[in-house]
Amino acid sequence: MADTHKEWLEQLEAQSKAKQESFMTGIAKKLGRSRVTEPPAHPFRGAPDFWRTFQWPLEERIERFTEHFQAAGGNVERLNNLADVKSFVVKLAGEMDARYIVRQQESELDCLGLEEALPEAHLSVWNSDPSENWKVRAAEADIGIVMADYAAAYTGSITVLSAAHKGRSVSLLPTVLIAVIPLERLKTRLGEILIQFDDRGREELPAGIHFISGPSRSADIENDLTIGVHGPGIVYALLVG
Amino acid sequence: MSAGKAAGRPGTVKERADLALNDDFLRKAVRFTTERLRGGKQKAAAEHGNWDEWRERGRQIRLHTIAHLDYYLNLFADNARANGVHVHFAETDAEAVKLSLAIAERKRAKTVVKSKSMVTEELHLNAALDSIGVEAIETDLGEYIIQLAGEAPSHIIIPAIHKNRYQIAELLSEDAGEELLPDTTILAGYVRKKLREKFLEADIGMTGCNFAIAETGSMVLFENEGNARMVTTVPKTQITLMGMERIIPSWEDLEVMATLLPRSATGQKLTVYMSGITGPKREADQDGPEEMHIIIVDNGRSLQLGDPEFQELLNCIRCGACLNACPVYRHIGGHAYGGTYSGPIGAVLTPALQKNVAEWDDIANASSLCGACYEACPVKIPLHDMLVYLRRRKVESGHGNRMESAGMKGFAAVAGKATWFKGAIKLGQLGQKLVVRNGGIRIKAGPLKGWNSYRVTPSLPKKSFRERWKTLSGEVQAEAAPMSAETRSRMEQLVREREKGGGGHGGHA
Repeated sequence: MADTHKEWLEQLEAQSKAKQESFMTGIAKKLGRSRVTEPPAHPFRGAPDFWRTFQWPLEERIERFTEHFQAAGGNVERLNNLADVKSFVVKLAGEMDARYIVRQQESELDCLGLEEALPEAHLSVWNSDPSENWKVRAAEADIGIVMADYAAAYTGSITVLSAAHKGRSVSLLPTVLIAVIPLERLKTRLGEILIQFDDRGREELPAGIHFISGPSRSADIENDLTIGVHGPGIVYALLVG
Repeated sequence: MSAGKAAGRPGTVKERADLALNDDFLRKAVRFTTERLRGGKQKAAAEHGNWDEWRERGRQIRLHTIAHLDYYLNLFADNARANGVHVHFAETDAEAVKLSLAIAERKRAKTVVKSKSMVTEELHLNAALDSIGVEAIETDLGEYIIQLAGEAPSHIIIPAIHKNRYQIAELLSEDAGEELLPDTTILAGYVRKKLREKFLEADIGMTGCNFAIAETGSMVLFENEGNARMVTTVPKTQITLMGMERIIPSWEDLEVMATLLPRSATGQKLTVYMSGITGPKREADQDGPEEMHIIIVDNGRSLQLGDPEFQELLNCIRCGACLNACPVYRHIGGHAYGGTYSGPIGAVLTPALQKNVAEWDDIANASSLCGACYEACPVKIPLHDMLVYLRRRKVESGHGNRMESAGMKGFAAVAGKATWFKGAIKLGQLGQKLVVRNGGIRIKAGPLKGWNSYRVTPSLPKKSFRERWKTLSGEVQAEAAPMSAETRSRMEQLVREREKGGGGHGGHA
């Protein structure tokens, strides 16, 4: 089956490549010119000029991020260091009586020593054992803990990138999400984060890049705002530094 | 689902609009929601500032990409393939359906979990999957509700806008096999739990695509619930259906789209989730799809390329702002449009994609041409001009209203000769004596049936305007100052330009 499926996919790819040529030729023809194969000059790339230099100082970034994230229904805490993060998480897990916790495998989170501090809870570390079904571990979790790779104050957004040791499920499947944001990762604009993906280039991008701007929500029933429809209904952003 | 829908749906826009107008809840709900969304949009746009500069930038990026679509689409396909995605091209809806079904069959799929995708609605893909025994489950809360009801979405952003929570509770109770209270939290909680199981057991996750980034072969999804993330994280196979025009060049350009789309759709600064997905899961990753397909769909889109009147349709970013701004949509709701896309964009897009004049719906006529859609559009698509072009093309190809044409011809003949016109008025003044009551005509029969259903036709005056003209003309000339030279020259200029036939709505080429 594996081989025949692979062969089938290869067949499809050959068809697709042939079709791609006729598709592009067709487009060029309808546009009334020959195929464009060199990168065209793109004078309007990205945000307008006045926006590119726009920056808030750190304190304002913190203030605005907090304001916007809270307005979307999220919670924000300003903490001094990782030790404070530890006590915050331990306290919250205790209050919520969290039984299952899943966290990313990242050095900052390793340092917290949550395993020892929360002996009652089942705490699992993403992909610490590759034979485990990690999606199920994340789905059963009450709390998921992640490091934010970036955050943007203007939109009140947290950015998380996937990797072998950083699951997409950890910020998605648990009921509660806790994201730790070191202050140096807090930018003003979305564009400051996005442009880095252009700079990295295709080969260096992870499979999943996710911007998260509050708890999962829906207004699909009579415009009545509901929180936690599919993703986490409670989200904490911990600003650290 | 779509078969039942087609059978139960009356034929013309007017009939569908009557249905909508009679459904009191729908009308109120549509107004309430569209006003809320429109208010949110206006507030978000004003707060953000320089809105017109952002709109102009958005328009330029879309114009540039579409003008070089062969280059960017080709680049996207090559890069996505290099990322490990299986890229396919479908010229028609039939081809896209065939490809999707072939993948589902190969994967021996039992269930497909879907996040919101207008393209799959366009293809009637759920019915097709059903026909080969694959269950397709809509996972967006509103889409799930209307799928249970066997209906079509009535708003691009809030698809179940026409249902109240009692109706929803009834549907979900039936689904649950137990009674659920009509409480939003309870209802949403039930759907969360039910769909959680579906996400975890589904073989295939299916999505649409808001934007595709050519330079890195990434696809981008905007959503609030998290179901699109579920669908692209949990199942082993992902199929994405993407309109061929969804391309933008770079992540930098995404900032502009991310600025325009959520603010225009719901008034949010950004949707709760914005996800950029670049290929299937990496070897060592523990989640994300192992196999990822992107089907690039034409289905009539390329017909707009090179058409000076309609090419800008491809700039649309599917935000729904034109629906919320449109006085007609706000009155009749989405189902009256009868196609996958409703509102002003639907009125133009549906016939444009079909390019079949004979079947062009009468929806282009159900517009007041007020231009509110253009004002609301974040990429400045001149929809109201396009509605006029549509009407013109319809008439040019002989699909105008025959009664109307005959009536107009008759009027031209009568009005063209002063004596005939005078005769006709006299006839009317005499004839109306049979039907005038209290100074008005209330009879709901004959040519006045439609008008008089809701109004009273005033009777013809005893002395017509023409009969009074001699007296009037003398009075006017005695009082009125002559037109200033400046005004006169401006008016003459206007008439000259109109005769040249160029321009239309000033500015856009």
